Amino acid sequence: MARRSSALSELIGRLPDPDQRGLLSNIDKETVDNVISRLLEGGRRSLRALIDMLVEPGRGDDVKARYALHCLAVHVCKLDDERIRRAFGRTLASQLGGDRPKAVQKYLIRQLQVAGGEEVAGALGKMLEDEELFESAAQALVAIGNGAAEQLRNALPGAKGKTKLTIIQNLGVFKDTESVSALQNALDDDDREVRLAAGWSLANIGDAGSADLLLKAADAEGTYERVKAAKACLLLAERLLKEGKKDKAVKIYKHLQSTRSGSDEAYICDVANESLAATAK
Amino acid sequence: MPKTEKVTRRQFIKSSIGAATAFTIVPRHVLGGPNHTPPSETFGGALIGCGGRGNGTFNAMGLEAKKLAICDVKFVGREDNKTIYRDFRRVLERKDIDVVAIATPPHWHALISIAAMEAGKDVLCEKPMTRFIAEGRAVAEAEKRYKRIFQVGTFGRFGRSRDPRSIEIHKIMASGLLKNNCKGVHIKSGGLKVKEWSGMVNAKPQPVPKSLDWDMYCGPSPLRPYHPHRHGGTHRGYWDYEGGGLADMGQHHYDPVQWVYAKDDTSPVEIEAYAPPAHQEACGMWGWVELKYADGMTFVFDSREWGEPYNRKQAREVLLSDLSEEDRKKIKDMPDPEPLVSFAEAVKTRKRAGGNADAANRSATLMHLANIAIRTGRKLRYDPVKEQIVGDEEANRLVNQPMRAPWHL
Repeated sequence: MARRSSALSELIGRLPDPDQRGLLSNIDKETVDNVISRLLEGGRRSLRALIDMLVEPGRGDDVKARYALHCLAVHVCKLDDERIRRAFGRTLASQLGGDRPKAVQKYLIRQLQVAGGEEVAGALGKMLEDEELFESAAQALVAIGNGAAEQLRNALPGAKGKTKLTIIQNLGVFKDTESVSALQNALDDDDREVRLAAGWSLANIGDAGSADLLLKAADAEGTYERVKAAKACLLLAERLLKEGKKDKAVKIYKHLQSTRSGSDEAYICDVANESLAATAK
Repeated sequence: MPKTEKVTRRQFIKSSIGAATAFTIVPRHVLGGPNHTPPSETFGGALIGCGGRGNGTFNAMGLEAKKLAICDVKFVGREDNKTIYRDFRRVLERKDIDVVAIATPPHWHALISIAAMEAGKDVLCEKPMTRFIAEGRAVAEAEKRYKRIFQVGTFGRFGRSRDPRSIEIHKIMASGLLKNNCKGVHIKSGGLKVKEWSGMVNAKPQPVPKSLDWDMYCGPSPLRPYHPHRHGGTHRGYWDYEGGGLADMGQHHYDPVQWVYAKDDTSPVEIEAYAPPAHQEACGMWGWVELKYADGMTFVFDSREWGEPYNRKQAREVLLSDLSEEDRKKIKDMPDPEPLVSFAEAVKTRKRAGGNADAANRSATLMHLANIAIRTGRKLRYDPVKEQIVGDEEANRLVNQPMRAPWHL
C-alpha cells in the first residue's frame, strides 16, 4: 500500500468538518474544488494513499477521505478526458479482491458506479463471486452498462441464492438474448423470487419462444405470483407487438382474457380486451 | 373473506349491473343522498407506511374508505397478517382492498404504487412521487396499462386550477402562441429546508432495533449499516431514500406552478446548479438551480441557505401583453381548461386524477434534475421526450438507478 504522506493528510484536512449535527453545513466550494484538483495532480500515488485512509465504518474517522474520493470520482467525469477517468477507474479496480476490509471495497465499488466504465467491468465481474460484494458489484455493472452483461452471464452458472437472483434480474435489465436458455431453466427454480425474476427478464427481453412458458406461469394460484406472472405476460405481449409479432401477442392476450374471468381480476381481462381490440385495428 | 362480511365495491358494481334491470325502486341507502353513503362509495382501504405522514395521506384520499390494513416495516413482531402487516405484498393480495395510501419513504413509492396497480388497486401516493426519474415513467406506464387511478399527495394544483389569473397564464402557455420566446421566470426562494433535511456524514453503525425489518426498509436501495438518522423522517437527508429538502418540498411548490405554466407533459431542457461538491450518501448544501424549458420558461430553486442568492434573472410572470393583439383575442376566445378531477371523484368515475402519474412524474423530475445537477456539478441538457440527459453517460446513471433484487421497475 502507498504510504500516507503528511502533505496528503494536511490537504485532506482542509475539507470541511461536520457540524455538531454531523452535517456538512459549513462548506466552502472553492476550498473543496482546490483540494480535489491538487489530489488529481498527485496522480495514482495520491489516489492510492487516499484509498489507504479509508476504514471500516465505526473503526475510525475517514469522513474527509471518503468525501474526497467521491468528489474525485465526480470530478474525473467532468474533465472530458477519458484517459483520466479510465485511469481513476483502473486504480480503484486494482484495489478490489485484496486484503482491504469489505466495507472499504464496497465504497470503492460505489465510486466505480459513479465514474467507472467498461475498463473495470472485468474486475467488478469477479466481485460477483463475493458474498459481501456481489450486490454492490452488480449495481455498479448495471450503472456502467458496457461490458456488464457478459460478466453477469459468466457468473450465473456458479451463482446461488441471492447472487443468482441478482444476476437473473439484471440479465433481464440488459435484455440479454444470449441468456434466454438459462433464464427459461430458471422458471423452474425452487426459489419463487428466482422464478419471478426469470419470468420478468424473459418478458423484458421480448423472447417470443418463452410465451408458452410465461402463460403457464401465469396460471399459478399464488396471488402475488399470479399478479407478477400476468405482468410478465402483458410486458412480453407489448414487446412482441413492437417487433411486429402480432400473432404471439394475441395469443397472450386471449389467454389472459379467458383465465381472468373473476371480478377481482376483471381489470386484467379489460387490459387484454382493449389490447386485442387495438391489435385488430 | 366470510360471506357475511361487507360487500366490496367490485362485487357491488358487478352485482348491481344485473340488479339494475330487475328493480325499478331502489332504496335510498343504496342510492345515497344527504348523510347516506351508498355501498358503491364505500371502499376497502390500506395504509402502507405508518410514520408521520401516514394517517394524513390516508385521509387525503377523501373517500369513505375503511382502513382494513396497515403495513410498516417497523411492525416486526406485531404483524398478524389480518390487519397489521409488515410486507406490503401480503396487503396487496387482499381482494377486499380497493384503494391504497402510500406514505413510506420515497424509495418505496414507485415500486409499491406499481405493485398496487398491478393488483388492481387505486393509489394515493405521498410526495415526492419518486426517488429518481425512471421510476416516474414506470409508474405512469402501470397507471396506463392497468387503467388505475394514481394521485400524488400534493394538492396545490387544484386550487391554482380555479384561480382566474392562473387560468389565464395556463391558457397563454397551453396555446403555444409564445412559441420559443417565453420570458417567464418563476423563482422559489427559501422554504426548501436544505439544512433541516441534510444527512449525517459521520453516522456510526448501530444495532438494528428488534421491531424493524431493516433489509425490507432498505428494499431497492443499497443495504447500508443501520443508523437511526436514516429512518423515521430524517431519511429525507439521504440519497438512498429521498433527495433532501429540495426533493421533499419541491414538489409541493412546483407541482401547482407546473400546471399553471402548462408543463405537465414536458420537462426542462437545460439545468444548471450552483452548489459545492455533493457528498456520496448525505444530501447537503446548495445555492440555487436554474431549469429552463425549450420555450424559454425558467424555473428556479433559490435555497437562501448557502452561498450567494440567485441573481441571474428577475422573477417575471407571463402576461397577456406578451402577445400580439390578435393572439390576445385568441386567448380570450379559448375555453377554460377542464376542472381537475380529485382522487375521490376519479376513483368513483374512473376519470383521470388531476395529479395523475404523468403530471406527477414531470413535477418530480424537476427536483430530480435539480439534484442531479447538484450531484454531478455539471450543466445538464435534458431530452424531455426520451427522459434522458443528453451526452452525459455518468449523469444518466442517476436518471435510472440500479435496484437491489428482487426489486425492479
